[in-house]
Amino acid sequence: MNHQELIIKLQQGDDSAFAMLVEENQDMVYNTALVIVQNADDADDITQEVFIQAYQSISSFKSGSKLSTWLYRITVNKTLDYKKKMNRKKRLGFVQSLFGAHTNEEVRLIVFDHPGLQLEKKESAAVLFNALKQIPYKQRIAFTLHKIEGQSYQEIAEIMKTTLPSVEALMSRAKVNLKNKLSNYYIQ
Amino acid sequence: MNQNKRINVLINEALNSVDNINRGSPKPFLLTRIYARMNHQTESIWEKIGWFIGRPAIAFLSLCIFLVINVLVLVLNKTSAQTMPIEQITQTPADEFSYTVATIYDLENTQP
Repeated sequence: MNHQELIIKLQQGDDSAFAMLVEENQDMVYNTALVIVQNADDADDITQEVFIQAYQSISSFKSGSKLSTWLYRITVNKTLDYKKKMNRKKRLGFVQSLFGAHTNEEVRLIVFDHPGLQLEKKESAAVLFNALKQIPYKQRIAFTLHKIEGQSYQEIAEIMKTTLPSVEALMSRAKVNLKNKLSNYYIQ
Repeated sequence: MNQNKRINVLINEALNSVDNINRGSPKPFLLTRIYARMNHQTESIWEKIGWFIGRPAIAFLSLCIFLVINVLVLVLNKTSAQTMPIEQITQTPADEFSYTVATIYDLENTQP
């Protein structure tokens, strides 16, 4: 089944086409979400939400664009939603702490360990992922899409619905920020 | 100098550590879990309302409107109390406790 046939079948509500879409793209979606949110369970949740969204809004998919770009875009939007949800939880926790209530949420101090890393690179990568967590969210997304997922700047611009110069600026700032964070870490 | 060099090497090592990284995979039976989630995904109207009210912009705006209404009510009450004529102030209790109000008996029995 080629790309065009798959889209047509998806738009017709074909279950086998949807199963194929999930099968072919689950690692791509999961890996992107995993690097951005740095939590396996949350990334799994986001992956499910991405495919549900894809299933529900396949009718709005424009035949001219790439299916992977569209899925990346949904993933990025879902990770942004996730971040907003986390911020809401933080605010709620803060308000609850003001009134003396104890929140059950544990502080996540676990070092993120990506399952696809080579053993000898695990230590350096852990430092990089920790630095990645500290830079602005859009820079993190652009860096992840380029460095981990191997997307070109043009493709990132399409995914993030922005211009090529904006992506270049985002990447440049991301690299500078990451170098600063890494430098601070290694100096200590 | 040597330390700077060493740090630069470590930074580059960290930045290049994710090159040729393999993709991670989600837990097994993703498709089954997606279908299960789709079947249970019936968000109630109250959840939607809660989500809408819980948005910081909406919550802040509502608080502002509430405060403005309170301040307006206070200011308007104060000004109307100040502008009330003295006669009216004295008249009001007099009206309320007046014994000179004509009753139905007074109207019917005008003659003693």
